[in-house]
Amino acid sequence: MSFRSIFVISALSIMLVSALPFFERSEGNAIASEKQETALTMKADTNHLSGINLFIARLYNEDRVLYATMVTLVMAVLGTFLAFVTDLILKALGLEVSRISHRE
Amino acid sequence: MDIFNIYLPIAGIEFNALLLVLIGFCVGVLGGFFGVGGGWIVTPALNIFGFHMAFAIGTDLANIFGQSIGATKKHHKMGNIDWKLGTISIVASIVGLEAGSQVVLILEKAGDVGSIVRWCYLFLMFGLSSLMFYDYISSRPKKTVSSQDQSEKPQDSKPKRNKGSIADKLHRINLPPMISFPASGIKSVSLWIVLFIFLFTGFLSGFLGVGGGFIRMPALVYLIGVPTAIAVGTDLMSVLFSGAYGCLTYSLKGRVEIIAAFFMLIGASIGAQIGATAVKYIKGYGIRLLFAAMIAFAGCSIALEQIYKITGNPSYQSAAGIVLMGTAVSMTLIIAVRLAAGFRRERRIRS
Repeated sequence: MSFRSIFVISALSIMLVSALPFFERSEGNAIASEKQETALTMKADTNHLSGINLFIARLYNEDRVLYATMVTLVMAVLGTFLAFVTDLILKALGLEVSRISHRE
Repeated sequence: MDIFNIYLPIAGIEFNALLLVLIGFCVGVLGGFFGVGGGWIVTPALNIFGFHMAFAIGTDLANIFGQSIGATKKHHKMGNIDWKLGTISIVASIVGLEAGSQVVLILEKAGDVGSIVRWCYLFLMFGLSSLMFYDYISSRPKKTVSSQDQSEKPQDSKPKRNKGSIADKLHRINLPPMISFPASGIKSVSLWIVLFIFLFTGFLSGFLGVGGGFIRMPALVYLIGVPTAIAVGTDLMSVLFSGAYGCLTYSLKGRVEIIAAFFMLIGASIGAQIGATAVKYIKGYGIRLLFAAMIAFAGCSIALEQIYKITGNPSYQSAAGIVLMGTAVSMTLIIAVRLAAGFRRERRIRS
């Protein structure tokens, strides 16, 4: 890849990233900014929550050890599963990997 | 973009799910390709977009743990992990990390430690990138010759190390017990030297408050003499273990937002596979050149942050965020383009 291509990609990326602060101005993240001003609380607010959000918030409030175990397990299982699926997709595209020679 | 907004019950905020997936994807590609956790990108990025710093760090660690599972597996498949060296690195790094954090606590009592840490961080980033750029430029003529030789070598051959390099000098120190790392092509090196290097890199990561991937990877290459791709894989293995510990301990402290980590992991897992696969198509020197560029830009971002701390002008802080995110997105695009080019070339050769 030439330096010109690297320069063009870098310039485009910086332009793209410069547009990212517009996300910040969305209604949702405005709420985020307001909330950021408040102190960190160790209890999640369960009012107006339902379904999976309510389950997670209750677990967080009631049993922190179980919450930590669930987070670690979910990350491990999901990480493994997504890696497996992505690997299958990459294989289907012909991007299969095997032992490589180490070229410096 | 409001249709992608989701409520995060633990952090108690609304956040754009698409943005989380995108941040995860970028850090996944960089993590899989360079063998770093990428906390120095994700934590400020989440913070910029409204996450409380404590939640940003915890959620990032949970994501790092998840994404490094797949990337480590892929690097293992490619023969890029030296398990023996990785295990020593984990043990010694933990001891060094603890020592580094103790020094920070002592300095904290003495006065403003934040400024000292930032200056050290800055010095380290620019120092490392200068060293790597210098190494790339000074080795280019050798690279042209050796690339012709490489094409005639069998698949399993290990690259030859430069005579007179720091790693070569360190290998010649005869301080028993001596240890070998066949997976990295290292026949004999003093265990004390290896332990000292990892204690030092661990100390730096504890002192600077970072995961340490960006310090360990160059140390593995330049001080221990590990081939670049193996350094990436072995470092990633250490990142996996530190990420698992970080995920558990931060969740226990209630600082992991699981829904955010979930969305980030979707992007990161895909990105990590792409990043790890790209290592196959890019030579060691190419990886080191991109790594040097990445930490140089990250250093610029920290310099801008430091200027903000001194002047109090918020424009510098915004500029720091833009440079950091711009670096992450640029590097992701460059890696993806190089992967696509390598794949096309491979297909042409096959057909």
